[in-house]
Amino acid sequence: MTRASRPPASLLSLIVVAILWEIVGQLKLIADGAFPPLSDIASQFWHDRGDYPQHTLATIEAAGIGFVIGNAIAIGLAVVFSRIPALERLLRGIGLTLFSVPFIALVPVLLIAFSADTARIILAALAVYFPTMVSTLVGLRQIDPRLVDVVRAAGGGDREVMRLVRFRSALPSIFAGLRIAAPAAMLGAMLAEFGGGFRWGLGSYLLGSLGQANPARIWGIGLVATAVAAGGYGLFALLGSRVAGSTLGATTATTAGPEALEGGRRDPLWLRALFTLGSAAIVLGVWSVGLRILGISPVVAKTPLAVVHYLTSGYGAGDARHELWSALGQTIPLLFLGLGCGLAAAFLLALTLSLRPALANAFLPFALVSQTMPLPALTPLLVLVFGRGVLAIVMVTISVTFFPSFVTIAQGLTQSPQGPTDIVHVYGGSNLTVLRYVRLPNSIPYLLTAARLAAPRALLGVMIAEFLATGTGIGNLVNTARGMLDYGMIWAIAAVAVVIALALTQLVGVLEHRVWKRFGV
Amino acid sequence: MTAYSRRDFVRRSAAAGLAVYGGSALTGSAFGALRGTPTKLAMQSAWVNDFEFLGYFIGMSKGYYTAQGIDLNYLPGGPSVIPESSLLSNKAPIALTTPDTTIKAIVSDNAPFVIIGAQFQKNPLGVVSLAKNPVHTPHDLIGKTLAVPPVNTLAIKALLKINNIDASKVKIVPYEYDPTPLLKGEIDASVDFTDDLPFTIKAKGETPVSWLLYDHGYPLFNDTVVVTKDALKNQRDLLVKWLRASRQGWVENFKDTAKYPNAFKDSYFKGNGRTIANEIFSNGVQKKLMETPKGIYSMSEASIEANLKALAAIGIKGNRKMFDTTLLAEI
Repeated sequence: MTRASRPPASLLSLIVVAILWEIVGQLKLIADGAFPPLSDIASQFWHDRGDYPQHTLATIEAAGIGFVIGNAIAIGLAVVFSRIPALERLLRGIGLTLFSVPFIALVPVLLIAFSADTARIILAALAVYFPTMVSTLVGLRQIDPRLVDVVRAAGGGDREVMRLVRFRSALPSIFAGLRIAAPAAMLGAMLAEFGGGFRWGLGSYLLGSLGQANPARIWGIGLVATAVAAGGYGLFALLGSRVAGSTLGATTATTAGPEALEGGRRDPLWLRALFTLGSAAIVLGVWSVGLRILGISPVVAKTPLAVVHYLTSGYGAGDARHELWSALGQTIPLLFLGLGCGLAAAFLLALTLSLRPALANAFLPFALVSQTMPLPALTPLLVLVFGRGVLAIVMVTISVTFFPSFVTIAQGLTQSPQGPTDIVHVYGGSNLTVLRYVRLPNSIPYLLTAARLAAPRALLGVMIAEFLATGTGIGNLVNTARGMLDYGMIWAIAAVAVVIALALTQLVGVLEHRVWKRFGV
Repeated sequence: MTAYSRRDFVRRSAAAGLAVYGGSALTGSAFGALRGTPTKLAMQSAWVNDFEFLGYFIGMSKGYYTAQGIDLNYLPGGPSVIPESSLLSNKAPIALTTPDTTIKAIVSDNAPFVIIGAQFQKNPLGVVSLAKNPVHTPHDLIGKTLAVPPVNTLAIKALLKINNIDASKVKIVPYEYDPTPLLKGEIDASVDFTDDLPFTIKAKGETPVSWLLYDHGYPLFNDTVVVTKDALKNQRDLLVKWLRASRQGWVENFKDTAKYPNAFKDSYFKGNGRTIANEIFSNGVQKKLMETPKGIYSMSEASIEANLKALAAIGIKGNRKMFDTTLLAEI
């Protein structure tokens, strides 16, 4: 794929899709007309043009502040972590917890603890922190040892190595992280707005518009959000390619294996266990102490002990436990199904695109739409097309997991070692042969890395579908608990969701470690 | 809050050339300044800006609050904003709530709340369906799919129980405030505000059928004015003044239900995603649900008793002490 061929490919695919969209909308082919044609969306947008500037600017402002704060903390901590790996391992629990706590449980809690404006910025910052931190850390660690030798031979110390080698070689990774972070910040801010308490913001506009049965308006808001997110993505892609000479496609360095993440060492089991325990203790400590510092009423803010009390000896603890168990029984099987389907979809797509690379750029805009279109806005379409059963859950889970997984797997498929590839070509093998003997085996570790990153998101996807469409499982339970002021249940579900996400991540991590070792990547 | 402390709002709308109401608010401030600096007071609303809160917008724009020495900080609500939580996290000493959740919080969590007034004598919440597939009574719900917002789950459980309907015979699914699935027939009915949703249904060319939970065994108030015990003890005077200014706003609103939705087109209602025609329709309907001979916000002994009785039927055992009608008596 040459650089010159890119714009026409995207443009052409955009035009084709726009035409298809119009036809499908005009003929009311999807959901009996609940999916509007582009021309309806455009004319509604024109009608609403006076409302958009204030809403859009409010969201961009909050997303921008959250983006700066979240990324500054992420990059700063990554630099510290790369110097003091033990610290990273101790604080990893907090990072993972914040990454995997379901937003639908987090939003009410943030809105309780902080002013609405602060909550919105925190949510945007949280959405960007983890991906950027991991990208930066991997970038700082994946360096060419020969460069370090050169600096050291010239008399440089750790500081010079950091400045001249590590930070420089990490730049492409950092920009890759920032690219993914831009749409994430938008979505984080909009989720807070959709929770309410705001006069201005695209999420508030969406909320106010829902009752009007006006799909053209809903899609207009979603497309404006997508345009802003795509703008942020494009800006950092451009800056990245200028600053770092990065020409890679949509990649995050989160795709590296556990070795890179852990600084290439593997400690004895007891030490690892100790770090895990310490990390968990810090999470529980921050949870308990943080609530005390914020000074929120114990009726609302439940500490770890209060949650245990709620589930074991509190008033109605038996009922609460029963509700929680039966809800988990509904959620967990669907979690595995959804995760599996999401990864399979990402894998198939990455495979197709590795055979026809030109499609990759054409596909990117639509991948972005799927990442920035707020799911509550799609609920009517979702239930009309997929119903309110297992299918709806699987589709939502695919939509929230496939993008990061796709990016990771695609990187595994394209970054095949040159040597073996050349050997196949020399012996007259086709691209398909290369795929079969080199790229596919090479991509298996990346698939597992994708699974590790996708696991918390899959849980989120299942819960979102449960609370939007099916009314089952822990997603629905957290939603009704919210309506009944059952604060104990909200915190219990947030905690259980984090535990499930972490357990699944750990499980995949163990598998992943074995595979990376075996394939010796 | 960036855009919506009252002063900011006044400044911005004045800058945008919408100074009519801003102007009168400034006059109000001037009066307040004569009486001394107005006291800051925050209230947690229950939803985004719409007809349901017109009385407060009028009170702010016409300077009723400043005339009472109050600098009102109005906090909009939304689905994830639990109004009671704002009381507990000291964001606001006054919140508009649903009485069932408030009384449940007092009973089960010892939450320090007192109900000092009720905006709606009759809860506007009801069951809305289409005439071509109508649901006329609670018993018509049997075998149907009903979409319920999570915050109203408790109310629907109560409705079914009070009407002796087996809850497992009604298929309950989540409702995210978009009536499209109802219009397309994917669900048979939804639980929504009967002073609002019928407008959208008519606008889409269908005939709505709706009835109030209030009229079918669940006679609750709504948008109950709830304060913390602390505020009741230390700011009682200010709360009375807030009730007075708010009632004044509502009385002004109901003189002509079309006037203020139009007047606030470019201020409080700008960009709220709704049409002014919808606000006017809903304002007309809500008049009947709010007005009462003893004055807006009143809580008669009979209606308090009816609230408590309905809640007791679903195991929420409140008592008369959770209501305080003495502030209203001082207006």
